[in-house]
Amino acid sequence: MKLSIIELSQHLGVATNTIERWIKQGKLPVSPKGVNYQFHLRDLEKWASKNNINLNLKKNGNRKEKESNIPLATAVQNGGIYFDIQGHDIKSVLNACLEKISDIPDDFKIDLFDRLLEREKALSTGVGNGIAIPHPREPLVYLNTPIVSACFLNTPVDYKAIDNQPVSILFILLCPSLNMHLHLLSALSFCLRDNMFVNFLKSRPDPNTLIEKITILQKTNLS
Amino acid sequence: MFSIKKWYKILYHKLFHLDDRLLLILAGSVTGICSGLAAVALRLSLESVIEWLHPYRHYGWAFILPAIGAMLSSLYLEKIAREGAGHGVPEVIYSVSRYGGLLRFRSSFSRLISSFLTIGSGGSAGPEAPVVMSGSSIGSNIAKFLSLNDRQRITLVGCGTAGAIASIFNAPIAGLVFAIEVILGEWKFVNIIPIAIAAVAGAEVSQAIIPEQVVFNHQPFQVGFSDILPSLGLAMATAIISVIFTKILRLSGKLAKITPFPLWVRAFIGGSIVGLIAIFMPVVLGEGYHSIQAMISETFSMGLFLAFAAVFAKIFSTAMTLGWGGSGGIFAPCLVIGSLTGIVFHRALFALFPTIGFASEGAYALLGMTGLVSGVMQAPLTGIFLIVEITGGYETILPLIVVSSISSTMSHYIEPASFYFKELIERGQFLRPGTDARILSDLNINELIETDYVKLSENMVFRNFIDILKTSEQHFFPVVEDETGEYKGIIQISSIRRYALNPGMYDMIFLNQIMDTKVLTASQENDLQEVLDIMDINNMAIIPVVENDQFIGMISKTRILDLYRRELMMQTSIH
Repeated sequence: MKLSIIELSQHLGVATNTIERWIKQGKLPVSPKGVNYQFHLRDLEKWASKNNINLNLKKNGNRKEKESNIPLATAVQNGGIYFDIQGHDIKSVLNACLEKISDIPDDFKIDLFDRLLEREKALSTGVGNGIAIPHPREPLVYLNTPIVSACFLNTPVDYKAIDNQPVSILFILLCPSLNMHLHLLSALSFCLRDNMFVNFLKSRPDPNTLIEKITILQKTNLS
Repeated sequence: MFSIKKWYKILYHKLFHLDDRLLLILAGSVTGICSGLAAVALRLSLESVIEWLHPYRHYGWAFILPAIGAMLSSLYLEKIAREGAGHGVPEVIYSVSRYGGLLRFRSSFSRLISSFLTIGSGGSAGPEAPVVMSGSSIGSNIAKFLSLNDRQRITLVGCGTAGAIASIFNAPIAGLVFAIEVILGEWKFVNIIPIAIAAVAGAEVSQAIIPEQVVFNHQPFQVGFSDILPSLGLAMATAIISVIFTKILRLSGKLAKITPFPLWVRAFIGGSIVGLIAIFMPVVLGEGYHSIQAMISETFSMGLFLAFAAVFAKIFSTAMTLGWGGSGGIFAPCLVIGSLTGIVFHRALFALFPTIGFASEGAYALLGMTGLVSGVMQAPLTGIFLIVEITGGYETILPLIVVSSISSTMSHYIEPASFYFKELIERGQFLRPGTDARILSDLNINELIETDYVKLSENMVFRNFIDILKTSEQHFFPVVEDETGEYKGIIQISSIRRYALNPGMYDMIFLNQIMDTKVLTASQENDLQEVLDIMDINNMAIIPVVENDQFIGMISKTRILDLYRRELMMQTSIH
């Protein structure tokens, strides 16, 4: 097997100029062929082992495979939009929401409820303007896809939000991985900074227009 | 007792601190004399025990003698002296490169005793390596006594080596060259003078005490122009024999290791095989100086084919002795095999071209020795100067250089590392001065760690982190557990940028949600070489150091380069 200067420079992690200088200084086992230098792999391996050099011959492909991030609109669609949630405090509201979300297996609901409460105790997820984003701190490995459930409360409850306003809309964010969680959280918080969107939410839109609106907003975020 | 202390203080403060070089020259000559004495002692005791055992040699049971000797020697080394088997030269080289030539005092006599047992009883090995070990240990301990620094200690180790070799062969320049070429590995002005003086001192000691038993008495040879071409052929032959010798030595060592017996049983087996060979071919016994002398002075009686067989018998019995637990070196066996090869070559030449006037058989024996020394130890200069000194003139220099250079080049092509270095390279302990491996081994991880990092709690809210970020210059933040301080992960500014620019996220996330937990970590016990390999393979510019789950600090490539350069400058500076 033969290697060109460019290939060798990639393996050794140096510039081609460096390889050319090393050839000129007689430091590499090169077999000149016309104008283009070539290296025999066997010679190189012998040279490398003698000089204790790591050739990095194994192709290390792009190990960082990008996780396909689900758009927020799809996550909301998967999670569902629920109206008329009953309750008068955080606990009862959250409980009522979880009842409605069908993606969560029943066995996990109690555990999830505890986790959501624990998160609220650490720091309220009320982001202001009467909106909260309850979520557990650890990813939920049993989920297949991330879900965001939009839950509209019948009566606003005190959520210890930063602006002390009672909360009437919950976006429950449940993700199988930390990466998706951060991505969706970031996307959601971007939407909620938009006052027009917040007012639009307060008007209790029907599910299809809500998802449409989110899709449009996401596009402006990306562009 | 008091007066010794007083004199020591006077010597130490007044005399030795006068001048660095004067001190080294004085200490070097003392070292040379001591190691010369050690060499003489071993030579004399070997002579007497061989004489004492001589009447028993013709008995049938005599083959058991080398077995007993090798067994006792391995038992002594393993149980009493508690040192590893082998010839000791790689240990000296490693100690010079890694620990500034620090050697135990015990080493100055333990190998002498064990090799005396092995060789005296008839095992096929050389007394040079034990004497080198002993001489260098004497040098090291003299340096310790005078509380010298590493650099000066290395010089004295070289002095001990040179004195020992010079004393055994009565060849001061060969001693000097061997010490620098094989043991120290660098030609430095400050080293050469003390080592040369030590070498001369060592040679003088042996001249004074045992003038009649010096291995090689000066003997001039007539080497003509017609010998150049044959010496090319001899060079090829010695190169091939060198490679065979090295391979068989290593092979027998490996074979012995896979046998289930304890070391002393192995040594016994090896020794009895040598004894059995010696029944048919007594030339393989011992260090073989007598047969070398016979070959040089042309009183060697074996015929062409018998001598040819003797070459391989000697190779095999040396492998059985050294590989299976006996103690000793390969220098003398190299000389025996080399001179046998030379003799075989000369006799074959004479049979083919009886009319051409070649040089004498003795000259070819000497050329063969050079070939083997250059090939096996890959120390061409040692080979050349040894023979030049033995012949006492420069008449043979041309064929010597031809044989030595061709033999060392050819065997280098087949076997890139010499016998002495091979073990060290395999263990990753071959650290010649000024090389990458040497600098990396000298730099300690603890010298590289940067510890002034602010640690953050894993439960910190992102907003608080942003506040810290505003005033901090750190690019990396270690995240730890609240109570135990256990290391959890690391936050890299570059990978959290997109969250940091989104204020909606500030109150939503905690640090353990955005920290990177997959970053590989190093430990303080890692070698720098290992750490650099991890960083190279994974393309990391910085690596956290974690010890017992506690974050210690970070090692960055920038810092490594900085210190590496300083270290290189220090190591290659002219003293």
